[in-house]
Amino acid sequence: MNRITTAVLLLLATGGLSSCLDVVQLDLPQGQPLLVVEGQITDQPTPPIVLLSSTQAYFDGATPPPVRGATLTLRDELGGTDALRETAPGRYVGSGALRGRIGGHYTLTVVADGQTYRAETDLRRTPPIDSLQVKLKTGDPVFDDGYYVFYNGPEPAGVGDYYRFKVFKNGALLNQPEDLIVRSDELVDGRYIGDVELNNKPFVRGDQLRVELNSIPADYFYFLNEVTTQINNQGLFATSPANVRTNVKNVAGAAGKAAVGYFAGFTVRADSVVIR
Amino acid sequence: MQKPFFWLAALLLAAPAALAQTAPLPPRPTRSAANASVTVSGYLKDAATGEALIGATVFVKTLGLGATANEYGFYSLSLPRGTYTFTFSYVGFAAHEETLALDGSRTLAVRLQAQGVQTDEVIVTGRAPDQNVRSTETGVARLDSRTIKLVPALLGEADVVRAIQLLPGVSTVGEGATGFNVRGGGIDQNLILLDEAPVYNSSHLFGLFSVFNPDAVKDVKLVKGGIPAAYGGRLSSLLDIRMKDGNSQRLGLTGGIGLISSRLAVEAPIVKDKGSFIVAARRSYADVFLKLIPAQKDNQAYFYDLSLKANYTLGERDRVYVSGYFGRDVFKFGKLFQNNWGNATGTVRWNHVFGPRLFLNATALASQYDYSLGVPEGSQGFEWNSNIRDYSLKGDFEYFRTPQSTLHFGGSATYYTFQPGHVKPTEATSIFRELRLQQQRGTELAAYLDEERSFGPGLAVQYGLRVSMFDNRSTGTFYDYAGERGRQLTPVGAATFAGGEPVASYANLEPRLSARYALTENSSLKASYNRMVQNLHLISNTTAATPLDVWLPSTRNIKPERADQISLGYFRNLKNNAYETSVEVFGKRLSNQIDYINGANTLLNQNLEADLLYGQVRAYGVEVYAKKNADRVTGWLSYTLSRSERRIDGLNNNAWYANKYDKTHYLSAVGIYNHSARLTFSATFNYSTGVSTTVPDARFVYQGLVVPNVTGDVRNNYRVPAYHRLDLAATLKNKPREGRRWDGSWTFSIYNVYARRNAYSLFFRQNADAPAQTEAVRLSIFGTLLPSATYNFSF
Repeated sequence: MNRITTAVLLLLATGGLSSCLDVVQLDLPQGQPLLVVEGQITDQPTPPIVLLSSTQAYFDGATPPPVRGATLTLRDELGGTDALRETAPGRYVGSGALRGRIGGHYTLTVVADGQTYRAETDLRRTPPIDSLQVKLKTGDPVFDDGYYVFYNGPEPAGVGDYYRFKVFKNGALLNQPEDLIVRSDELVDGRYIGDVELNNKPFVRGDQLRVELNSIPADYFYFLNEVTTQINNQGLFATSPANVRTNVKNVAGAAGKAAVGYFAGFTVRADSVVIR
Repeated sequence: MQKPFFWLAALLLAAPAALAQTAPLPPRPTRSAANASVTVSGYLKDAATGEALIGATVFVKTLGLGATANEYGFYSLSLPRGTYTFTFSYVGFAAHEETLALDGSRTLAVRLQAQGVQTDEVIVTGRAPDQNVRSTETGVARLDSRTIKLVPALLGEADVVRAIQLLPGVSTVGEGATGFNVRGGGIDQNLILLDEAPVYNSSHLFGLFSVFNPDAVKDVKLVKGGIPAAYGGRLSSLLDIRMKDGNSQRLGLTGGIGLISSRLAVEAPIVKDKGSFIVAARRSYADVFLKLIPAQKDNQAYFYDLSLKANYTLGERDRVYVSGYFGRDVFKFGKLFQNNWGNATGTVRWNHVFGPRLFLNATALASQYDYSLGVPEGSQGFEWNSNIRDYSLKGDFEYFRTPQSTLHFGGSATYYTFQPGHVKPTEATSIFRELRLQQQRGTELAAYLDEERSFGPGLAVQYGLRVSMFDNRSTGTFYDYAGERGRQLTPVGAATFAGGEPVASYANLEPRLSARYALTENSSLKASYNRMVQNLHLISNTTAATPLDVWLPSTRNIKPERADQISLGYFRNLKNNAYETSVEVFGKRLSNQIDYINGANTLLNQNLEADLLYGQVRAYGVEVYAKKNADRVTGWLSYTLSRSERRIDGLNNNAWYANKYDKTHYLSAVGIYNHSARLTFSATFNYSTGVSTTVPDARFVYQGLVVPNVTGDVRNNYRVPAYHRLDLAATLKNKPREGRRWDGSWTFSIYNVYARRNAYSLFFRQNADAPAQTEAVRLSIFGTLLPSATYNFSF
């Protein structure tokens, strides 16, 4: 809801006037490279995957340099353990000895470049998706004409559930900064979540859509929410730019090198629809 | 708690005691006269409209004694029996002389005539021509509505807050941003009073325009330092806005038709010479054009405000004033979204003259800021409301003890309620549930005593003490917070309050002092110190405050904000007060300043205090001001060199860093050229160092999204480019014709004449077409020049 508000305020504040945006050249300082962790463990049959790379200068558009030869170990709260193997540069995959399980607690240990990092996450309960609905909008004062997809599903009673919605169009994740949608159940706890619009730009006939619902831990919600803020941080009411949180901690504390990114546990529930 | 109560009691008792001590009986010999003293008192008014002349002066040359009219136009001057010539004066008005043989106290009401049309347009900011040099006030700037209307205005909308930003020491985080920053303070640290009622959000349209209708405003006074003890509750400044009383002589109409809004004000006597009223309304009409577009017909976007005031004289000694303000911004996008917000204030005042020397203003007031937003109907329907309200009773006494000594004393009691957020579904089928954030309540008691005293012609001081006590009287469960500063904290130590014991209680002593030492007839040195305390805090984590930001009281965790400020100034007038110049330096320290952890959520957050951080602000600077009052060309030049920094426990590695609104250099030049009785040209030029901001020095890719990062998590490591802008305006009046009462004028203005794309902010994003590429983007609020035409009239 905050996002809608911000978007509308932004539109009102800047759209109505002669405000303008210009891409400018800036000389920015360059920070020292840090380890980037992008990892996930889900309740699906796929094994846990962790991608390790390195931060770059802000305007460096090259593929992020992979971090190779790291040692990655995964443990759960029941004593299960697995070593992740590097299957491609910077890509570390579990053997299958440890799978995500709802209610499980997982600790990832990464040893890279002489530093040891640790990240912890959970897999939380998840509701199912009931149905997806396609509606045609025409002549709407705000939305362009076309097809829109709506989500319907229950939300379990008890505050503290957090969700991410992913929309895949013809197999590809919609992944522009504005497509990152995370929600908390604070305002909808225990209600039936119906008619929730998932796209801002219309789809066309023939589009195959897959919608994924991820139930995510609170801290990961905050992480993604902060990412949303920082990558869409523009306009009159931009917040003060600030680093997003991470759950990857150097075991040496402040004495060690910092890392960025997230190792997250989440569930995956999905449904598909073809627009006809 | 014992001590502050003691002080409060002592203050309240001291005032009557001071009165008793200095009561005129038995007459004591003074240096100036053996048998003092009789008192001349009364009201000073504008002859044409009956408006009280705030700050007009009366002076007896032979004695070198004078007095100044207060906010209600009341003056009182005590002097020995005898025959004297009194000179009453007010800038822009013909001085009036009256010779009286005094053998007893008497009242004398005086009406001053405004000078001719041409001087009518002269910039008036001082009341007496040499007020700036003679008064003990430091850091004070005044604007009257004529000045405000003559300065080139954005889109032709004359604006109080924008005009104030042309004065030294006053800046903004960006054009179009809500509010203003005084001497390195935050926007919530300005006590904005409209006829004594606090105004919590001074902006229409997200900050483009201020909420005050210039047609209803009589007088604007900004106090940046040496704030008198009568005022408290905000750290950085007092912006005292007084509405017109309304014409007590005849029906008057004023108004204007502009690009953005149109205005109309009606004023008339209720009973001639006894009472009058004014009703002034303003409304924007962008939505009228919106409705012409079929697809937009269900959309609304407008603001309006209504200012009302009436006054009535009940007799020689009593007057009542009732004033009200109601303003609102409304946005509606069909059934998709609605948002509206606004202020409402109401003030009832009673002036009572107990005798020629004792004046009371008793006030009852209420003020509210609230907003609502939501989806009006359907499965996503919800309504979200938030508000702050206050109800206040005040008594302010002025005791004109001797010509050398005036006492101000009084007290106030205020009750506040805060609803930071309440969401409810609009219908049963909505997906939303009800959520109500903890409501809060508070009471604030304050008492003050101060004396304005002159020691001969050279030295004058105003010193005083204010005691303020704030109690958070909320009911519910409150927490302390534990954890590492800089990260989200964990609530611990739940404590439940049922209404007996306050949740938190804070008492503070606020000493105030300002002094003037006259070096010559035309120059003086001034110094001031003030301590200010603030128990209301605007929770805002965006570059510019938004209409959705919430005010909260001091709590167990949010401590009262405190400021100590010292300032020194040299004031000098040249060429018979044709030029006013001053140089002031200031330094201040603010404690218990609020800040936010990275990623803090300030709206609808049930655990907001877990996201708050606290620290200090320090600010210092030099303000140079030169103003030309007379002749065809008038105007001023103001330059500020300053620094404003903060150090927050948990941010920027606990090191000092520049505030987001910090500007090293800030220059404004205003020129007004009276070409003829009909034609006036004006120009303003602004230059300022860019505000500070945080830029990333690295990026990382997470699931295909490019996230900015700054090593060491430092804050405000960069400056946006410098800002400068030139505006021009011309005002052409219609030809004066004998017997015609209708006065019309056209004002043409160009804002941002050389169409500079001034940076409001820099931000960073992925290129929409090549997501792996990142780019820096400059946001300019106005990317081009903005011409406008306004027709103003008065009848």
